[in-house]
Amino acid sequence: MKGDKNVNIQALKDMANKLRIDSIVATNASKSGHPTSCASMAEIMSVLFFHTMRYKISAPRDPSSDRFILSKGHAAPILYAAWAEAGLFPVEDLKNLRKFESDLEGHPTPRLSFIDVGTGSLGQGLAVAAGMAYVGKYFDQTPYRVYCLVGDGEAAEGSIWEALHFASHYKLDNLVVIFDVNRLGQSEPTSLQHQMDVYDARLKAFGFHSLVVDGHDVSELIKAFDEAATVTGKPTAVIAKTYKGKGFPNIEDKENWHGKALGAEGEKIIKHLQAQITDGGVSLSARAPTADAPRVHLRDVTLSAPPAYERAQRVATRLAYGTALRKLADTNMRVIALDGDTKNSTFSDKLRNAYPERYVECFIAEQTLVGVAMGAACRQRAIVFASTFAAFFTRTFDQVTSSTSSTSTTSPTSPT
Amino acid sequence: MGAISQSDMNLVGSHCGVSIGEDGPSQMGLEDLALFRAVPTATVFYPSDAVSTERAVELAANTKGICYIRTSRPETAIIYDSDTVFKVGEAKIVRESAQDKVLLIGAGITLHEALAAADDLQKKGVSARVLDPFTVKPLDERAVREHARAAGGRVVVVEDHYQAGGLGEAVLSALAAERDVVVRHLCVRSVPRSGAPAQLVDAFGLSARHVAAAAQELLQL
Ligand SMILES: Cc1ncc(C[n+]2csc(CCOP(=O)(O)OP(=O)(O)O)c2C)c(N)n1
Repeated sequence: MKGDKNVNIQALKDMANKLRIDSIVATNASKSGHPTSCASMAEIMSVLFFHTMRYKISAPRDPSSDRFILSKGHAAPILYAAWAEAGLFPVEDLKNLRKFESDLEGHPTPRLSFIDVGTGSLGQGLAVAAGMAYVGKYFDQTPYRVYCLVGDGEAAEGSIWEALHFASHYKLDNLVVIFDVNRLGQSEPTSLQHQMDVYDARLKAFGFHSLVVDGHDVSELIKAFDEAATVTGKPTAVIAKTYKGKGFPNIEDKENWHGKALGAEGEKIIKHLQAQITDGGVSLSARAPTADAPRVHLRDVTLSAPPAYERAQRVATRLAYGTALRKLADTNMRVIALDGDTKNSTFSDKLRNAYPERYVECFIAEQTLVGVAMGAACRQRAIVFASTFAAFFTRTFDQVTSSTSSTSTTSPTSPT
Repeated sequence: MGAISQSDMNLVGSHCGVSIGEDGPSQMGLEDLALFRAVPTATVFYPSDAVSTERAVELAANTKGICYIRTSRPETAIIYDSDTVFKVGEAKIVRESAQDKVLLIGAGITLHEALAAADDLQKKGVSARVLDPFTVKPLDERAVREHARAAGGRVVVVEDHYQAGGLGEAVLSALAAERDVVVRHLCVRSVPRSGAPAQLVDAFGLSARHVAAAAQELLQL
């Protein structure tokens, strides 16, 4: 909490180590998974979930809550651990990771009550987060904030840079991108390793308020997120210098441990981590949102007037699309249109001409177009139409497939 | 109850197929139906006139999961009355008689080619039934089977899309277990090039005369 002298720093450090232990236990139980990718982000998760973020355990996808998108979806175990430690489901359930009988899958999917979009195909989370932030800032106008965690290896994806461009263009000051710069990728070190100055310069060049922090220092992280909340007119990038496998002796910062359960090593490492937990009894909990997002009605949308054509007319179907889009928008304020700089060809500009504030130009960045569309549609916030030439959706196929995982759930961790 | 819906996104692809004309193959959507049909939770609309397009947009707004609407660049005739009701997964028969000898299936610009082919065939004494699928996924498989049988088991399907994964293969799948049905599939079989829209539609084998010829061939079998 900003200016709060009573932050229990030790409890947050302890929570980070609990999350590390949970990640080891879960991946050992499934004999697979990515514990070292979890370890590098343990302090970030502890600070976000037990200090910074405002959300409700009773309604994990409440529209008023802060959002967290784990773009590096393979670190799912620590995301599951955070929700379990926050009280959404028993910590014991984490041992069902990756089992057929559990929805705690290898990578997060919306089968889980606390996941908005599936991640795991790297590079996609940030555009989704930007879509959520756009809706929060411009449509909901509610103070919820959006946090997106991106891996450093993942940051080589062009789609990340498309999304950064979008976020800064639209001044998404309710968006915080956290780069987990743990130096290593899957099969070798990342291209930039720990060149924090290069990340910083790039993010600044992209128009971000950029901060380089020690990603294992709880106090620095708290300060960074507090600072982000005061920045206006720009999104913030928290570039966290971290170590892959942090806190795992003989594994930390070493190659060849990506995507491997710790196995027999695990027991020793758990003891080592437990020894550092000094204040195990403190219970931390989520802070509640400060304001309610507006209620919106997205069902039973109709055209404002039926189609009106004469038999003798000749009309392109693309033009009829624009006409219908505008008629839908007449009857529902949450009908929005996105396009990738082809609006005068697809005729999505018909909506823009009538309701400029409900049109979102995504520029020539189709992966971002689809990612932002996905994010904007989350939590029942908007009815989203995204258009471009049919040919250019080809490059968004990965985003399209990621948008499809499952529908709804009634229990946090098991199939319903 | 925590039943919360998954993101419902509507994607709209314009400029499908060779019928865009002069801009050439880099601008032609020729794999988009394959792409979206492959997605289990997708609904794929391929409306053929302005009336059905407006209704497709309205239906997409109210449909769960991902919706894709394929639109075309050329101006085309109005086929439907303004009060026609459309449903996801419900095909329309736009032309039929009790004497039909062949079923023609097209969507977007090729539905208009199929209708023109039906006119040509009629002049030669052959009645053709014409089906508009409206949605390619889900395809109204029951209607495809029923009308294929009613038209003597002869089907021509024509689409402004590559051979793999589009309307043609959807129709072929629907008819896979039908005895005594033969299908001709007209589609774009090679990488296209620039040219005038009508010229390309003809050169790549999608125009009315190709549809009529394919129907005649089936009648010879
Ligand atoms: C698009 C894509 N390419 C490749 C992979 C396979 N893969 C999974 S994790 C990973 C390394 C990720 O490195 P980084 O982003 O630095 O995350 P870390 O595990 O180091 O925290 C790779 C290559 C993937 N999941 N998605």
